[in-house]
Amino acid sequence: MKVIIMKELLEANDRLAEENRSYFKENHVLCVNLMGSPGAGKTTLISAIADELQDIQIGVVEGDIASSIDADKLEQKGVHSSQINTCGECHLDANVIRQGAEEIAMKNGIVFVENVGNLICPAEFDLGETVRLLAASVPEGDDKPYKYVPMFSYADVVALTKCDLKEAVGFDTTYFTKGLRAISEAPIYEISLKKGQQREGIKELAAFLRKKYEEV
Amino acid sequence: MHELPVVMDIIREMDEQASAHGFHKITEIELVIGELSSIVDESVQMYFDVASQNHPCENAKLKFAFEPAMLKCRECGNEFPHEKSFQCPKCGGDAMLVKGSGRSFYIKSFDGE
Repeated sequence: MKVIIMKELLEANDRLAEENRSYFKENHVLCVNLMGSPGAGKTTLISAIADELQDIQIGVVEGDIASSIDADKLEQKGVHSSQINTCGECHLDANVIRQGAEEIAMKNGIVFVENVGNLICPAEFDLGETVRLLAASVPEGDDKPYKYVPMFSYADVVALTKCDLKEAVGFDTTYFTKGLRAISEAPIYEISLKKGQQREGIKELAAFLRKKYEEV
Repeated sequence: MHELPVVMDIIREMDEQASAHGFHKITEIELVIGELSSIVDESVQMYFDVASQNHPCENAKLKFAFEPAMLKCRECGNEFPHEKSFQCPKCGGDAMLVKGSGRSFYIKSFDGE
């Protein structure tokens, strides 16, 4: 006997994500889910944003398959971090975020969840964030919005990192933007944080996040 | 590999449904997968074959129905499924994703005895 049920999957995760959303709101926390490929510059981005937003408390929940390199790096800068090792899992889910958020016990501030470096799996899991920030780096190529449609279509804001390498790798910004615009209205911030050079674009991205924080 | 939690979700749901309907065996499960849900059917099948052992849905046939993301042409308004291109097949214009399309991921139906 055939039974029609139309039962949504991953409902348990979505329910927990909604609980996280209320938890963050009650604690006056802006939760930013930071996603991107391995090496896109996610940790560097958090560190640079923390420099720009010194009057706002910044916390980080670090997700990595193994190690605590990123969390250690940020702790050294005074950014309060909690490390989650996913032991091989390719993404973070709403359940582990709650644990991580409770560990850093932050009120009034911005919590970055640095997701596992991956352009596919994290897109599927709502963590209860307010902002989905996607770090896409220039060396990954200008065709990524065409290839990773789910990830790019879910982003609320895109940080195009390592822009100082555009010429070296032949990155076509118009082509990248055209692909993104087909699937998302997310603003793009072009960023360069090359050591020893003037930082570019990070003030503007920090101002965007400050505004989002003020709206919490 | 994020299909594993998804498969566990399917098996849990089928356990409950089997007991609710008095089925000792689930023979077929129909899943709808949206293009933007990042779920790969082969991976679902692979995990399901292993994880469903000793559950009522062991050996159930998985049927996948795919739902494409829809795009709407900014020039002529034509709506078309996203296959490879973001360009309108009618007029060649630039298109924009129809919000919410292609995100489905659910169990549509199951069959049991």
